[in-house]
Amino acid sequence: MSRLTNLPTLRIRPGTPISFRYGKKLCEGVEGDTIATALYASGTRIFSRSLKYHRPRGLYGLEGECSNTFMRVDGVPNVPAEKTFLRPGMRVVPQVGPGGLRWDVLAFMDKMSWAMPAGFYYRMFHRPAALWPRVIPFIRRAAGKGVLDADFELPGRCDEIYVNSDICVIGGGPSGMAAALAAAEKGFRVILLEARPWLGGSWDHRISLREDGTPLFESAAQLARQVEESPLVRVFRHTAVAGVYPERVVAAFQTGGPSDSFRERYVEVRSESLVVATGCTERPLLFEHNERPGVMQAGCAHRLAHTWGILPGRRVVFSVGDDLGLEGALDLAELGVEVPCVADVRWSGQDAGLLARMREKKIPFFKGWTASRSMGRKTVKGVELKSTNGVHGRRFPCDVLVASAGQTPVTGPLAVAGARLVHDDRTNFFLPGNLPPGMHAAGRMLGYMAPEAMELSGRLAGLGAVLDFGGRTMDVVEEMRETEARLGRPPEGCQFVMAPVKGKKTFVCFDEDTTVRNVNQAMEMGLDVPELIKRWTAAGTGPGQGGIPGHNLPLLVSHSRASPDEDPRPTTTRPPLVPVLMGTYGGRNHDMCKRTPVHALQEAAGGHMERVGVWMRARRFGTEDHVRKEVANVRSNVGLLDSSTLGKFRLHGPDALKVLQRVYVSDLSTLREGRVRYSAMCTEDACVLDDGVVVKRGEEDYYFTTSSARSGATAEWIHYHARYENWDYDLVNLTDAFGVINLAGPRAREVLEKMTREDVSGSAFPFSGYRELMVGGSIPVRAMRLGFVGELSYELHVPSSLMQSLWEMLEEAGRPLGIQNFGLEAQNILRLEKGHVILGSESEQRTTLHDLGLGFLWSRKKNDGRMVGLPALQRTEHQEGRLKLVGFKMTDPAHQVPRDGSIIADRKIWGHVCTARYSDALGHPIGFALVKEPFCVMGARLPIYEDGCQGRLIHGQVIPTPFYDAGGERMKK
Amino acid sequence: MFGRYKRLWSSPPQRPAYDAVIIGGGLHGLSTAYFLASRHGIRDVAVIEKRYMGFGGSGRNTAIVRANQRTPENLPLYKEALELWPVLTEELDFNLMFYNCGNLNLAHSEAALKAMRLQVASAQFHGIDIRMVGPKECKELVPILDISNRLRYPIFGGMFHPAGGILRHDAVVWGMARGASKLGVHIHQGTEVTGIGVQNGRVVHVDTDKGRIQTRRVLNAAGGYSADIAFRMLGMKLPISVLTIQAMVTQPLKPILHHVVSSGMYHCYANQTLKGEIATGAHMDPWPTYTTGTTARYIKHQAEALGELMPCLRGVKFMRSWSGLADMTPDMAPIMDGNEPVRGYYMDCGWGYFGFKSSCVTGKYMAQYMATEECPQILKPFALKRFEEHRLMGETAALVEYSPDN
Ligand SMILES: Cc1cc2nc3c(=O)[nH]c(=O)nc-3n(C[C@H](O)[C@H](O)[C@H](O)COP(=O)(O)OP(=O)(O)OC[C@H]3O[C@@H](n4cnc5c(N)ncnc54)[C@H](O)[C@@H]3O)c2cc1C
Repeated sequence: MSRLTNLPTLRIRPGTPISFRYGKKLCEGVEGDTIATALYASGTRIFSRSLKYHRPRGLYGLEGECSNTFMRVDGVPNVPAEKTFLRPGMRVVPQVGPGGLRWDVLAFMDKMSWAMPAGFYYRMFHRPAALWPRVIPFIRRAAGKGVLDADFELPGRCDEIYVNSDICVIGGGPSGMAAALAAAEKGFRVILLEARPWLGGSWDHRISLREDGTPLFESAAQLARQVEESPLVRVFRHTAVAGVYPERVVAAFQTGGPSDSFRERYVEVRSESLVVATGCTERPLLFEHNERPGVMQAGCAHRLAHTWGILPGRRVVFSVGDDLGLEGALDLAELGVEVPCVADVRWSGQDAGLLARMREKKIPFFKGWTASRSMGRKTVKGVELKSTNGVHGRRFPCDVLVASAGQTPVTGPLAVAGARLVHDDRTNFFLPGNLPPGMHAAGRMLGYMAPEAMELSGRLAGLGAVLDFGGRTMDVVEEMRETEARLGRPPEGCQFVMAPVKGKKTFVCFDEDTTVRNVNQAMEMGLDVPELIKRWTAAGTGPGQGGIPGHNLPLLVSHSRASPDEDPRPTTTRPPLVPVLMGTYGGRNHDMCKRTPVHALQEAAGGHMERVGVWMRARRFGTEDHVRKEVANVRSNVGLLDSSTLGKFRLHGPDALKVLQRVYVSDLSTLREGRVRYSAMCTEDACVLDDGVVVKRGEEDYYFTTSSARSGATAEWIHYHARYENWDYDLVNLTDAFGVINLAGPRAREVLEKMTREDVSGSAFPFSGYRELMVGGSIPVRAMRLGFVGELSYELHVPSSLMQSLWEMLEEAGRPLGIQNFGLEAQNILRLEKGHVILGSESEQRTTLHDLGLGFLWSRKKNDGRMVGLPALQRTEHQEGRLKLVGFKMTDPAHQVPRDGSIIADRKIWGHVCTARYSDALGHPIGFALVKEPFCVMGARLPIYEDGCQGRLIHGQVIPTPFYDAGGERMKK
Repeated sequence: MFGRYKRLWSSPPQRPAYDAVIIGGGLHGLSTAYFLASRHGIRDVAVIEKRYMGFGGSGRNTAIVRANQRTPENLPLYKEALELWPVLTEELDFNLMFYNCGNLNLAHSEAALKAMRLQVASAQFHGIDIRMVGPKECKELVPILDISNRLRYPIFGGMFHPAGGILRHDAVVWGMARGASKLGVHIHQGTEVTGIGVQNGRVVHVDTDKGRIQTRRVLNAAGGYSADIAFRMLGMKLPISVLTIQAMVTQPLKPILHHVVSSGMYHCYANQTLKGEIATGAHMDPWPTYTTGTTARYIKHQAEALGELMPCLRGVKFMRSWSGLADMTPDMAPIMDGNEPVRGYYMDCGWGYFGFKSSCVTGKYMAQYMATEECPQILKPFALKRFEEHRLMGETAALVEYSPDN
């Protein structure tokens, strides 16, 4: 088909062909074409088959409001062909079932609609019960149209950008641009988001003249130039808004063009004030076979010609409901299309000028008439028009039927932002009844159709947005008053009219094949509010996201008077307002993990690095059996462990002690300088929340550690529990400022002695001692003598920037002594042998301090009566029936180590194994378990049930802990 | 073929007195009403719903059912629930669309494997079909999974629970409402309960915006609103925080995901509905907002997580997200209790984001409770007084972080 090439409004570049694949065929379009326009221009009329009835579907609109034109493009399913611009080499595959577009073998389903009333699935296939599972595979196969390959990888880069401005305007039509310009004029920064790749909105394709003789498209271009020239307005084109969230967070996504570095990018805009000027779309006209290929919306036909240079058909009948429809008919007639007649559902209200032109062109015009049926088989061959009261009727042959019930506002951004939409009888629009603070609406979406009114309304909203900031207001208020006065009331809209038909094949929702009759069926069944009808009939739940039914369903329901809703009530709009790729939402998906200062060193040493919470940590330094060597080396020589992930805090100030006393269970008033105290924090239920050590570095100055996972949460916990006290203290999170090296093993002291001149002998630096040392000449170290792994060990806290040096020096000094890295798993075994718990590993959410056997940490004497967890500690101390932590060894001769998480079960479940490992030091497996009485008493035999054991139990026996070095001589040495 | 389009449930006028009144037309309320009528012959029951059937969590959930619980208190309950769906489908003569596709939970660490083993061993001990699987088998079950080390949290393995699956949540709501209504239960939509009358420690009436109802039994099954009702109408403070939980679906696709997949580490789960959509959800919003609004963060998080676990899904589009209220207790287990401290006042709440799968079976036992005034053994561990005694249930292993104040 030849294209029109000489229109001033064209967005294509005729003569620059682009070829692409469509199914098996090679097709051609031109630069600027979308897939759909290229296909339409080359004669394609059937774009898909419908989901349920396999009816042929064609190009109905250009806004992606239904899945008629959804195709698979370069492997991505459900791509709206009319919104996707051609790229050379694109592979486009229509989404059809068996038989293809023209000869769908399931087309007979269309004749079966009597058997598939609304909600028929709920009442079929469930008896006998064995039937349903057999039906499921068929249902699954029939559902959905998009095909995705399991190994598909989205090509191209998805990006993200977070921007802010004073004012954000959604919609780059005349009103949106006027709003942006008004705000920029007053000195405010504006971000303007436009879904199309160009600005201009409803004007960019229209040649009608304004009062001053300028054609609308020219006016739009002028506004666009001003916007582009304004240094205060930043324009995002081809950026569709997907959601508007509280505090005016706008989430949108931008489609990259040939010169962009991204395929798509997620755009999140924050602003103080928001103007929504998203205009209108067309309300579908309801009549029999209203979706046969060849039926299209007025804007679609108009734009096909003016934007893409395609005449939609040879003989085009119009059945419309507003002046834009009439304008479209005249423009097409002007271009040489035969227009046998124009029907308008309105009885009055048409623009006199348009009517005069219609008479001039001798186009028969029917007021108060509507299409009642389209005729033809696969595509439209004719139309039956009727007067809306059903009395008169006439038929016309045609190859395209333009059908529209007039305009309807695009209220999505308002609705998801929380505006209540109220039906307005005059415009027949849902208008915002209230707008959230800082939000404004403008333009056609409020019903303003005249060019001047659209601009004024935009300007008014822009000024309103300016006012949200306060200041410099008098002139603005004055100007707003004037603007408002000039603006006046919007004109009357097209009322809801349904063709005088039964509605058996009158589709309310194309995606789900929901007919007017289905809606009536739902109402007969008592589902009488649109929200329930939507669920029962699925209308609006398809991939077009309610674009087609969203406007008609509430009007239809209210029109039928079977609903308790007297005023039409729209169904809830939910984000995303347009479908958005997961890849786009995901963006760059930047991994924010933390690495300790010696990450690289450990990796180089063969560390098997794993993500533990937010950190990367070394689990072991070799294969799995290497762990045994790591353990042995700590037990007999000396090892190095990176413990930098511990939470580390400074707490200081006159009330620091009070804070500690509030959250820790111990009495820290007795803590002396130079000593380390191990303690724990509990919840109000006495459940253990955190453990760690506290050091007193000076008067009113404490340093403490928390478990790695809780460093952030602990700070919050402390502030929370001190919130009403007005205490004078400061809490500084030093977690990332310090690294921690655990130097452990019988030869640890020898290593340390080599590196410092200070006395670190057992008497000068005893167990539980704290010293601040200079190590390696100039590295300040906070050293603690602890024994988590059960050997002589030093926990060295050092400024992160110096940690790598210290680590290397320790390795150097320890080399002759056999120093080696050890990882988390070795630590796990070492501490298990020593009978030390790891919270989360040996405790559950409900495990109390008493349950863990750590009740001795709780000081009853201390004088904070409001210590967190105090009443619960008192009440739970002697409670029966709780899970208690016990140590056990395996007694079966096979020495099988039970898997962590196995249960203790004997007719019922009594508890579970927390951690169990084989101990080389002891020569048998040991473990911790949480068990109830009577299994938690010393000597009890534990029947252990592992997953998959099929009833074959293994056995352990409760024994005292520590399993290793019970007297603690080794660690205290 | 289907006869006339009969109403799913009738809307008779509200009577001045009922044998039992149920607050909330969600699944817990409807199911209790159904079982009262069908098992205990108590048909003079009113279900009072302020909006419409399924307005609350029951109409917003992702309808995942499973019985791979952690504790012996919960396991039998959920096991029975799983077995009940097919029975109810026949009994209600309504297709609840139980799609028994099985659930795969992924582990991304040793610790997670350990937690799963406990669940698997406990469930197996109770005769529930479930097993541990390695990464390879995960991939066989869900071919679109990425089991490589490219993931920030590579897959260590998982547990597969073939007995679980999904239902169609609306179908369950409508089926239950229809079933109850057929037996004579009155369903009052658009009616709000505004007060509960107590005399001498006993419930005597319920006030609604359409008038007073004399009754001696009332069930608070108002989901996210239940704590508010208990406090406003009876002065009872329930240890419940109400958080928003969101879910979303993609556009429909041909079958590509054949099981429910979930990952605690990535905070997400996904399954493909019978309509072909990938339905997905995750954890709750971190703090109460008291709205059913969605957030930009959440949908992005969901895309990041799913796109990493199942990379091909990056080529699929989200089309709808929504949210509902989750009534969360400190131990993430519900409160099912009655006659304390007010005789005739029962509650079935605190169901958070996991109350769909249990709704049928708890309805059965709550009905028994209300009919006999004796708490069935199976419900005893869920009594409110466990919080007073600091005996939390162990359904979640880890500390709950959603709110520092309970
Ligand atoms: C997004 C999301 C996903 C979920 N996914 C799952 C899942 O996969 N699996 C699962 O098992 N669970 C899931 N859940 C949880 C599940 O939906 C709920 O736990 C369950 O629906 C609770 O049912 P209910 O009957 O207790 O409450 P609801 O369904 O919330 O019903 C309570 C009803 O009470 C009404 N009401 C409130 N106040 C009054 C009043 N004063 N008078 C009269 N009526 C009143 C409300 O309008 C409401 O309809 C999910 C929840 C959400 C929100």
